[in-house]
Amino acid sequence: MARIPLGCEPVIGSLVPSKKRDYRVTNRLQEGKRPLYAVVFNFIDSRYFNVFATVGGNRVTVYQCLEGGVIAVLQSYVDEDVRTKDESFYTVTWACNRDGSPFVVAGGINGIIRVIDAGHEKIDKSFVGHGDSVNEIRTQPLKPSLVVSASKDESVRLWNVHTGVCILIFAGAGGHRNEVLSVDFHPSDMYRIASCGMDNTVKIWSMKEFWPSVEKSFTWTDLPSKFPTKYVQFPVFIASVHSNYVDCNRWLGDFVLSKSVDNEIVLWEPRTKDQSPGEGTVDILQKYPVPECDIWFIKFSCDFHYNAAAIGNREGKIFVWELQTSPPSLIARLSHAQSKSPIRQTAMSFDGSTILSCCEDGTIWRWDAVSSSSSSSSSQV
Amino acid sequence: MASKASPSPSASRSGSLKDASMAKADESAPVSKEIVSVIESLKRHVVDERCVSIKERMDNNRHKLASITSHLQKLSKERRNSWINFADSSLDLLKKRQDDAIGMHSGIGTSSSDKDSDSDQEDSHASTAVLLGTSIPPGKNSVRPIRLPEVKKLPPYTTWIFLDRNQRMTEDQSVVGRRRIYYAQNDGEALICSDSEEENVDEEEEKKYFLESEDYIIRMAIKEAGFSDAVINSLAECFSRKADEVKARYESLTKEEKTSVDSLNVDSEASSLNCFLEKDLEAALDSFDNLFCRRCLVFDCRLHGCSQDLVFPAEKPPPLNRPDLDNLPCGEHCYRSVSKPEKVATDDSPELGDTKDNSVQPSSGSAGTRTSVRKKHTPCARKKAKPSQSESASSIVKNMSDSSDSEIEPQHTASTSHLSPSKTKLGGNGGVSQRNSKRVAERVLSCSKKRQKVVGSDSDSVASGSVLGGDGKLSSSPHKENEDANSSSQKHAKSRSRKRELSIQNLQGEARDGISSGMVTDPPGNNSDVTLRKDDCADGNSCEMALNDNLSWKAFEKSLFEKGVEIFGRNSCLIARNLLNGLKTCVEVFQFMTQGDKRLAYQAGDAANSLGDGYSKFEHQGNNEVRRRSKFLRRRGRVRRLKYSWKSTAYHSIRKRISERKDQPCRQYNPCGCQTACGKECPCHLNGTCCEKYCGCPKTCKNRFRGCHCAKSQCRSRQCPCFAADRECDPDVCRNCWVSCGDGSLGVPNQRGDNYECRNMKLLLRQQRRVLLGKSDVSGWGAFLKNSVVKNEYLGEYTGELISHREADKRGKIYDRENSSFLFNLNDQAGWFVLDAYRKGDKLKFANHSPDPNCYAKVIMVAGDHRVGIFAKERINSGEELFYDYRYEPDRAPAWARKPEATGSKKEEPSHPSGRAKKLA
Repeated sequence: MARIPLGCEPVIGSLVPSKKRDYRVTNRLQEGKRPLYAVVFNFIDSRYFNVFATVGGNRVTVYQCLEGGVIAVLQSYVDEDVRTKDESFYTVTWACNRDGSPFVVAGGINGIIRVIDAGHEKIDKSFVGHGDSVNEIRTQPLKPSLVVSASKDESVRLWNVHTGVCILIFAGAGGHRNEVLSVDFHPSDMYRIASCGMDNTVKIWSMKEFWPSVEKSFTWTDLPSKFPTKYVQFPVFIASVHSNYVDCNRWLGDFVLSKSVDNEIVLWEPRTKDQSPGEGTVDILQKYPVPECDIWFIKFSCDFHYNAAAIGNREGKIFVWELQTSPPSLIARLSHAQSKSPIRQTAMSFDGSTILSCCEDGTIWRWDAVSSSSSSSSSQV
Repeated sequence: MASKASPSPSASRSGSLKDASMAKADESAPVSKEIVSVIESLKRHVVDERCVSIKERMDNNRHKLASITSHLQKLSKERRNSWINFADSSLDLLKKRQDDAIGMHSGIGTSSSDKDSDSDQEDSHASTAVLLGTSIPPGKNSVRPIRLPEVKKLPPYTTWIFLDRNQRMTEDQSVVGRRRIYYAQNDGEALICSDSEEENVDEEEEKKYFLESEDYIIRMAIKEAGFSDAVINSLAECFSRKADEVKARYESLTKEEKTSVDSLNVDSEASSLNCFLEKDLEAALDSFDNLFCRRCLVFDCRLHGCSQDLVFPAEKPPPLNRPDLDNLPCGEHCYRSVSKPEKVATDDSPELGDTKDNSVQPSSGSAGTRTSVRKKHTPCARKKAKPSQSESASSIVKNMSDSSDSEIEPQHTASTSHLSPSKTKLGGNGGVSQRNSKRVAERVLSCSKKRQKVVGSDSDSVASGSVLGGDGKLSSSPHKENEDANSSSQKHAKSRSRKRELSIQNLQGEARDGISSGMVTDPPGNNSDVTLRKDDCADGNSCEMALNDNLSWKAFEKSLFEKGVEIFGRNSCLIARNLLNGLKTCVEVFQFMTQGDKRLAYQAGDAANSLGDGYSKFEHQGNNEVRRRSKFLRRRGRVRRLKYSWKSTAYHSIRKRISERKDQPCRQYNPCGCQTACGKECPCHLNGTCCEKYCGCPKTCKNRFRGCHCAKSQCRSRQCPCFAADRECDPDVCRNCWVSCGDGSLGVPNQRGDNYECRNMKLLLRQQRRVLLGKSDVSGWGAFLKNSVVKNEYLGEYTGELISHREADKRGKIYDRENSSFLFNLNDQAGWFVLDAYRKGDKLKFANHSPDPNCYAKVIMVAGDHRVGIFAKERINSGEELFYDYRYEPDRAPAWARKPEATGSKKEEPSHPSGRAKKLA
């Protein structure tokens, strides 16, 4: 990133909080000693909008947010890796099978993706395939049986939790050249995913040509291992927005939010050229500064409508940005005297009124909006 | 242009910029102050616009996203409902626990009512913990964790895992032209083996595109402040570019503006055309020209590199002509079937017209020269008129041409006289080369030569076709081709008068005029002809039609057409079927062909009035070709060419050599592009190599290696000239060399020389012996022979990476440390290549050194390339280890190779486990 040419400057948000909304700590709980790497609300099924899951160590826990800052533990799962006990989950997401049964899908250092049927409190499937640790799993919002996983083995894989098949592998000649750290489904374009990783690039993939394969996966009755998994070797777009590890990216409509380790989230627009796939330009639109956020594996999260994003930093503070205004405005900066440990991931509830943060020291913090204008509870949907 | 209150970041930014440039401007000139302020206000304007546009886009995106998320919300609600309809909600434990928790929370302690569940698992749900903020004691422990059964991890060797090693492997493929560090295995010392100072020069230039915003500022600033050096300078300062860059940009901008206004109404529909259809064949063939190796017949040849000089053979194959197809309609769209009913019977096809001409020629005596000239023109004129499809028009044409017959006569003689001086100029081959496109002229010469031959022997339609073919290739538009038609027709006249040599010169002169052409004046004969045709055009009003038709032909179709004319002659059936299949029908091709003639005539007619106008265009096109090509060369050439500088390297590592002979160095062969028999200035001659089949020169070239005529000797002794010259026989060159393949069931080639197969083509055919790798009797690895062979039998090829001497010196530094060398000098000492079998090679690289070897190595020229063959020095029994003398240069030989009298031979490579492992990998 050399000189930014005139007329292409991004709009940079100011760090003065607009005080549109204020948050207060309403709960704090210590889950264990091991760091918590992910926390995520269930956006798949409106019954469970107040249910969230966390992962840390070899444990997956399902909680519920109740009124008055109360958090209820609903379920807890422990990877029974007796011999080595080395499982350390890095990521978790919600999915569901075709019947609508809620699934918790988690993955971690072993590279095995655990699909837990939360409706029956049992393991449903285990996806073995990744050659190294799984860094992120995301669910396709339009077809919540599809999950995509990003792994240290440089590949991104698309799975069907309903039938348990690995549908596609996004890797190869045009793939990532180092660990893939984050991946996300396009909210409306079902064919599109964006992935980013340690090779400093963000790659946008299209599975349009492979869609028959995806369709086939829903009706697969044979052994999952016999499914003809296909390779997607070439992304439709490669963006070099950052000059360091890119550890989180999310679609914002047709734009992409991504962050590296240089204290900011960047919003940019991929502009592909029709004639030459793979090439294109990046138009950096906005930047959302996040001070003290210069370590990798810090992920941000958005509320259901993508109005706001919350991101923690190295020092335990949370920045809540209004995403879709120009120039971007900081809704609030959340800090607490006892919150000192790096926040690996945050989760915003459906309407953004509750923010959860999970920290390196194994604590979960719950922040609730105190402004009168917004609904104070997330339990009513 | 005062900016309104802009958002803080952008305001502060432009403000700071302003300060900086203001300060500078103050030093230079007081006048520039206002210019700077103008620029600054423009800048601010740009920044503001950017903010506004971002805002707009964000708003658009938000609207889009809002509908998306509301749809998603709907989906999530549907899921809830479908679940309720679908199944008993008590099955969903998550839901149940959720309800419990809510229950516990709302009415504390009342939740135990449904503790009556059956399983013990259900027991735990009552104790769902509620933490912090309630009076219930924290119950994290009471939620019993559910165990996830263990799953076997994939064993690491079944998956592809990212390793640094893997990445390095892929990058390692190309060794040349990259900064590289070798790690010596033993002492951990890093050696930099490329000179950084040289390769850093290659750094990409900074891209200097002008952005839209900069264009805008340039335009507006100059509009407001006027065009002056001060403005340009301050603009340049503001963009941190050079002043002349800005100036040039401004000029191109104003030009663009003008053209865009002009073309706005014209081009609106044309612009929608697919851009790739606009590419002409020339550009499309670029990769073929630049990346295809004509010697190895592969793309992206590693041996000879990209961007090889294009060598055009002096002898061109005649255009394809199948007489049996000539008079049959090729299909429903054939011009024959379509145009017959409405056609004047005499001129139904160009071929027929030509044949008619030719048949006329021999019959007419020398006195009839002029009439035949006229007749030659007449069919052309009719052809032109035909698309107008009015018989009356064509009859008018006929009349006109008849009447203008008398006009033509003197003018044509004038043209011959005019051409005769050009003959003197063109006397030598070198004279032609003065023209900008030497190659073009030379090709014309060769074509004309051939033509002469054909006309002399037999006057059929092939003759004119071949000329048209040859010329059509040169032309970059159909106009020129017509020019050639004219010239060829005139040439016909000449050749019929038995002055063949003169006719060649004429053709040269005319081709020069019409095609590459620095000459302003048109041959008068053409001019008159052309004005005549202009009249027809006006008559039939067909010229506009022709233009319209011409528009529907895209650039690449035109070039395909030209290629077609080159290949098939003026046979629209074949062109349409083979090259423009699905694009154009035969009729369309035919019409284009004839209209091309007419359009040329029309344009040339104009050119008769304003001379040079039309021809400058042709000339421009001709140059264009050359220029474009050179650009490609520039761009590509940088990438792949093996770089070798003649810098002397102080250190010479030890290398294997073939022999002690220093007087007979092998020279690297590069094909020459001579179009005539090679003289003193031929690059091959200067380089000391023979001309090979890849050269452009004709087969009669004195410098050519003629191959052998051996039959019975099977090219196995020094009696065979190929063998004696350390070359393999080449069936393309040698007369009797052939090898049968298979068991004969597929049909063998006609066997010349009584079943005596050539035995001197083994490298070319890769007929090596089976070599086994094993632990050497001496030390380390060794190469062993599987089957016994007789003396002088070819065993195999010593292969490896082909590297330059300079690179070899760098690598040699490392190899010497490991006391192993796989370097093999290939060419002459000042020359080009060294074989390095360290990383890549075949099993023969493991053959050890011996002062008393049983094999010998020989560099052999195989199809223009030097290759190393290993041959048996004596009879070798199966299972014997192979040795050959590495022939190190005496002063550089390693210790173990220096004393032949020592006990046995030592290893070519000492047994370093690490080094060996690497070698095998």
